[in-house]
Amino acid sequence: MRRRVPDFVRKILFVEILKGLALTFRTMLKPPVTRQYPRERRDPKPGFRGQHAFVRNPETNREKCVACQKCATVCPSRCISIRYETDEHGVRHLTKYEIDALRCIFCGYCESVCPVCAIVLTETYEYASYSREGFVYDRERLLHNWDRFAAQLKRPAYFNMFWRPAGADVKRLAVVRRLQQPVPVRQTPDAGIAGTREPRAGQGQAPTQGDR
Amino acid sequence: MEPVGITGTDTRRELTLNMGPQHPATHGVLRLTLDLDGEMVVKCTPHVGYLHRGIEKLAESRTYQGVMPLTDRLDYVASVGNNIGYCLAVERLFGIEAPERAQYLRTIVFEMSRICSHLLWLATHALDIGAMTVFLYCFREREWLLDIFETICGARLTVSYPRIGGVLQDMEPEVLESLDAFTRMFPGKILEYETLIDKNRIWLQRTQGVGVIPAKEAIRWGLTGPTLRGSGVSYDLRRDAPYDAYDRVEFDVPIGKNGDVYDRYRCRMEELRQSNRIIQQCLAALPAGDILAHDAPDLDMPLAGKKELVPEMSLGNASIGFGDAVPVAPKGEIYSAVEVPKGELGFYLMSDGTGNPCRMRVRAPSYVHAGALAKMCEGAFIADVIAVIGSIDIVMGECDR
Ligand code: SF4
Ligand code: SF4
Repeated sequence: MRRRVPDFVRKILFVEILKGLALTFRTMLKPPVTRQYPRERRDPKPGFRGQHAFVRNPETNREKCVACQKCATVCPSRCISIRYETDEHGVRHLTKYEIDALRCIFCGYCESVCPVCAIVLTETYEYASYSREGFVYDRERLLHNWDRFAAQLKRPAYFNMFWRPAGADVKRLAVVRRLQQPVPVRQTPDAGIAGTREPRAGQGQAPTQGDR
Repeated sequence: MEPVGITGTDTRRELTLNMGPQHPATHGVLRLTLDLDGEMVVKCTPHVGYLHRGIEKLAESRTYQGVMPLTDRLDYVASVGNNIGYCLAVERLFGIEAPERAQYLRTIVFEMSRICSHLLWLATHALDIGAMTVFLYCFREREWLLDIFETICGARLTVSYPRIGGVLQDMEPEVLESLDAFTRMFPGKILEYETLIDKNRIWLQRTQGVGVIPAKEAIRWGLTGPTLRGSGVSYDLRRDAPYDAYDRVEFDVPIGKNGDVYDRYRCRMEELRQSNRIIQQCLAALPAGDILAHDAPDLDMPLAGKKELVPEMSLGNASIGFGDAVPVAPKGEIYSAVEVPKGELGFYLMSDGTGNPCRMRVRAPSYVHAGALAKMCEGAFIADVIAVIGSIDIVMGECDR
């Protein structure tokens, strides 16, 4: 440490405080690092764990879920509930799928285990609602979430990093996940953008009623 | 003289003051009852439990994998530390070892979270004492690291990036570059923080000689981490019981002398530098390879005591027949501890062979440190209580679990 200036001179002249102030003033001239949030939005990184959605299958125009129940089993907060029917060929048909987003802890386990890449956590992070029911996502709502998300996605195709994490052992992944290609998204300008208000319960979109 | 306050029979005017649980300077929901004589604290009694979520009990009904995201919610400021602490405990119980690359990646994220945590601590601690500027400066650098967390795992605070037996995914070269740029930039920023407060006479007067706890007392109270090292005890699990890649990197364990608020502050500032050094070394030595152990349990491991064997599994392993029951986890118990930014975080796991822990107990440093507040605040002024709370870096999520 330099000790050219005697200590008492430093004390009288408030050297350390002046140094601090100099730094503050220097920083004042630099461009601000803060964002003015509602006006400036930050784009989350690809793979951000936000609002849930069902990927819309371009071929069937429906969700891809095969009602295997894996996501419901693995979910640490037990917020997914699934009902299905089995037809005469033994094929499961989803009759009810519900995620209670208020209980979800956004761990990403559901999208990590789904064998057919049906459920994803999208990069939508603004989804306030006026009612609790607005956070219970059923099948239609999950598809609607996807449309809403896809409409404002700036990339031409969507690939979730949890489908095939970088460096993961491909042999441990389900076949569909091994082969999963990026999902092309059609930008539909009328689908609403992230951050627009969800309709109030009773207006526009039918609110999903959590059955008990 | 009229009786005043609660004791009020003698001439001493004692007053009982409730500080918290909603006091902004108690870092969450810590509540202290202060018995005051004038402005002097005669007795300080910490009360905890306002943030109790029963994580230990919840763990008993979740699979080993399912508990992992819950541990994020312990010390939510540096959630990676909890994740790794938990994953290591399970790995030791299961007898799994993470591949080398995963160990290095974990060490990197662990130190990133330590920097994040210390930056947040410095920001709020300085804000409590009255240095507003440091607050925003620290958040500026923390943002960089949070962005990296977001890139590698999709979340900024509750990351769940480590997995039992490895990590979620590999870091892309761009991420490593960004991290490298951070480590080159960061030492200069530490100097900036120090320019602002290190020699500032107000800061010195508010911190030096305040909340003193001598080494002997500190050990008796069970303090760990920088709170203990500030008292001059050189004890750091990263060096004394190395895990992951800590035995392959070089770093110093900074210690203080007086055990006051200032020395604890100095310790943490030095640790920022050491963490930066560790990240640099890990980036330089990062080996290639797998990121998840081959024998790591699946994410959707069964909760019951046996695997549902599917035909492919018995094909791969001739010793197991179709329909046989295989215990998911070995029976036994384990205590495993890591050095999180706050101190020693221990996980005690008891297994009865099923997919969920039979009992999980968390040794949270913040809980132990909250107890020692009573000792450190004795004889201090009310304003110093704030400085002392800040100096032990308490996080109530971990304290109350
Ligand atoms: S993110 Fe986690 S908590 Fe949320 S629904 Fe998926 S598995 Fe459940
Ligand atoms: S894991 Fe995927 S396919 Fe299975 S029930 Fe859940 S969403 Fe449907």
